[in-house]
Amino acid sequence: MAFNLRDRGADIWDKASAPGRIAIAGGAMIFAICLPFMGGTFLNTPISSYEAVLVYPVGLFVLMALGLNIVVGKSGLLDLGYVAFFAIGAYTMAILGTHTSLNFWEILPIGIGLAMLSGVILGLPTLRLRGDYLAIVTLGFGEIVRIVALNTMAIGGPNGIANIPTPPKFLSLEYTLQNQKAYYWTVLLLIFLVIWMIRRLSTRRPGRAWESIRQDEDVADLMGVRTLKYKIWAFAIGAAIGGAGGVVFAAKSMFVAPEMFTLNTSILILACVVFGGMGNIWGVITGAVILAYLPERIRFISDARLLIFGLTLVIMMNLRADGILPRKKREKSLHS
Amino acid sequence: MTKVLELKNVTMQFGGVTALNDVNLHVEKGEILALIGPNGAGKTTVFNVITGVYKPTAGDIVFNGNVSLVGKKRWQITEQGIARTFQNVRLFGEMTALENVITAGDVRSKSGFVGSLFGMPRSRREERENREKAMELLKFMGIDHSAHKLGKNLPYGDQRRLEIARALGTRPELLLLDEPAAGFNPSEKVALAETIKKIRDAGYTVLLIEHDMSLIMGISDRVAVLDFGTKIADDSPTVVQNDPRVIEAYLGVPADAS
Amino acid sequence: MDFSVLVDQFFALTIDGIALGFIYTLIALGYTMVYGVLRLINFANSEVFMLGTFATIMTSKNIFGYADDTEPLTGIKLVYTLLACLIISMLVCAITGVLVEIIAYRRLRKTGSNRLTTLISAIGVSIVISETVRILTSSAPANNPRLLDKIYLISYAGTEFHLFGIRFPVSAFEVRLDTLLVIIFAFLLLFSVDRFVKTTRLGKGIRAVSMSEQNSQLMGVNLNKVISSTFFIAGLMTGAAAFFYTTVYESTKFNVGFELGLAAFTAAVLGGIGNIRGAFFGGIALGLLEIYAATIFGTQWKAVTAFVVLVLVLLFKPNGLFGESLQQARV
Repeated sequence: MAFNLRDRGADIWDKASAPGRIAIAGGAMIFAICLPFMGGTFLNTPISSYEAVLVYPVGLFVLMALGLNIVVGKSGLLDLGYVAFFAIGAYTMAILGTHTSLNFWEILPIGIGLAMLSGVILGLPTLRLRGDYLAIVTLGFGEIVRIVALNTMAIGGPNGIANIPTPPKFLSLEYTLQNQKAYYWTVLLLIFLVIWMIRRLSTRRPGRAWESIRQDEDVADLMGVRTLKYKIWAFAIGAAIGGAGGVVFAAKSMFVAPEMFTLNTSILILACVVFGGMGNIWGVITGAVILAYLPERIRFISDARLLIFGLTLVIMMNLRADGILPRKKREKSLHS
Repeated sequence: MTKVLELKNVTMQFGGVTALNDVNLHVEKGEILALIGPNGAGKTTVFNVITGVYKPTAGDIVFNGNVSLVGKKRWQITEQGIARTFQNVRLFGEMTALENVITAGDVRSKSGFVGSLFGMPRSRREERENREKAMELLKFMGIDHSAHKLGKNLPYGDQRRLEIARALGTRPELLLLDEPAAGFNPSEKVALAETIKKIRDAGYTVLLIEHDMSLIMGISDRVAVLDFGTKIADDSPTVVQNDPRVIEAYLGVPADAS
Repeated sequence: MDFSVLVDQFFALTIDGIALGFIYTLIALGYTMVYGVLRLINFANSEVFMLGTFATIMTSKNIFGYADDTEPLTGIKLVYTLLACLIISMLVCAITGVLVEIIAYRRLRKTGSNRLTTLISAIGVSIVISETVRILTSSAPANNPRLLDKIYLISYAGTEFHLFGIRFPVSAFEVRLDTLLVIIFAFLLLFSVDRFVKTTRLGKGIRAVSMSEQNSQLMGVNLNKVISSTFFIAGLMTGAAAFFYTTVYESTKFNVGFELGLAAFTAAVLGGIGNIRGAFFGGIALGLLEIYAATIFGTQWKAVTAFVVLVLVLLFKPNGLFGESLQQARV
């Protein structure tokens, strides 16, 4: 393709001076922060509340797509059970929120920690497998988590857990059902953190390790890259991000049930990564925003959303496997 | 004369096929040892067994007289100080030349994941040093002008040179070169021969698989010959060249065999 | 955990397990044969199966005009009706399989895409098929008219006797006509495929391609033809499984493919993916395991059995019982 959107963007960024870059980054951040106030414009969603949509699916899908991108896009590990980490985060919030006096901010690190731990536990035995087998095992893991949740009455069984407390007031900002802005900005904060983290890691040893694993794992091994260690780190970080999203989701929805964490969600997140441009932060964000927001905006495709995702996967893979904003094609040093 | 590497009675069997049969071989520090033999003799298998791609069915591989490599993980073997190139170029095509070499250099870094994430001083210092060293290696191999080109966009000759630079990036003691001259024209082969000598003179030990006899005879200190997985000769180039068994195995392969 | 039912009904459960196992084996062929020639997990196979179940029902309802409350058939009418359902199901699945290959996999194969890309395309196709059916059926289940009466050929209720105060149960034993027919015909089909692959020219082509795509092309094998034929045969087997499943279990839904597909895939992996005979053992083993586990732990855990077996096999014996391993580094 002669016109590469991502490289154009990268070009503008590289040519900008330091103040120029601050202006660009700052401008983008301010735009993102102001999004909840644009509900009165053409961006409004007809059926669900605009602000609620910004949190879920848009914001949380972006967050999860960034997490899955580290695993699939950067490291080339096909994880089809990503929703499991989201579920673990959500159930942690649900159980601790309803049974202890801990609040959202205290539960958040616990949820992240538990999700990360399960990422490591899952990864240790399975990351020795390659490609297809890893995909199937992770799919199995995702389903096992859901089925266990479904059949364990102690955590609500098929009825799930309700009455999850909302986060406490934060600097006079209230987290309520009607006013979802606070939730959105919390998610946005997490997204900014994750972007910072990914950019940091990409230009250093972990990023190089992940890239080399994705491009040619056997050779990476022979060049001294500790592939197993970094694969597990990729899983762990991805899981941590998924778990964080889950905690926020539970606090926002105030109710969790096994049917919310199905294989479909894993596939949807994967579609965001693939559609946007694997390995590339901006592509992934774009993909997630489009695929999460559009069905809410355009009612008639909402029921066929999953069908469109399936078609997206097939068409993208066959025609433009690199995504809308593919990773760099030109000679530039390792960016995100 | 220290033995950098020694293969002791190494046998490698794949199901019913014996690729290496009781091979005894050693590489002395600072020498250029050439490994030759007809196609299918097992030369690349030797490399694979040394670098841990395969575990030998029998025998031992000893590094620097006291470290057994058998059973070690591949990255551990690289960490010990052995690096290789490949018969078919296998670069990290979507990384730049510089990044390829920096990635190889990471094996020498002590900083871990957390250090990289939070930009700890040691991590930053290692990054800088690694980058400088990588540039030096690219200069050494004569490809520093392509430092920021993607591996897959380099011309073939530069790709081969980059593979060598990348292997050197792991700061090895022993460098394994698998048919480094494949696809080169005569003048490129002459340049490569000079480069290999330069590498040896810089302190590395080289074990090299090649088919081009004049290249080998010109730079090797010793030549080992494999045929059907068995070592049939191991001596100075001139002796090996006149060994009847070697001649029979090859049936007189012409000098420019690529 | 309840072992008493398992012991009391052991033989009866075993027959059920074997029948289920044969169904799994037939679907497993869909995965294992495609994996053999393409090194691709044919995700769409589960949805092809689902289409076959609907094809079976639609044949009896829309073509023959039977309804849910129709009386069971007898005699020659029974035979040709069932045969029609079987053959149509097999053909629908076979043709769908071939189309899936052409639309979703062929282009990627030609451009040499990596495994991840092809796998994602396979997942996409799977979703498209199941979602289309979901929308068309509005998620409602479809029932199969009971054309073949569920007759018990042998029925023995089991007994127990006491010796020295210890209770020795003798298991119940029953054989139902439909279960027996499934076992017999599935076995015949499997035997035919095995013979086909071993003796016919096309069959040898399939084996050649699964050993080495490049070399078989050099030996004059028409790659596209072999691959399309593989998908066709895999589809035939899956379609037969769909017919048997619908006859025994009598209903289907748009999402029936997922669980069965996963179980069948587990069976394929258990036997060694790429290995046709392995699929047979894997299928029977898994069928038995699932039935026993459901009896001991309760039916709600049945779905988990396949997953757990799958994960365990992949972790400890990725070669399966007879097959090849993906784990060798390629240098």
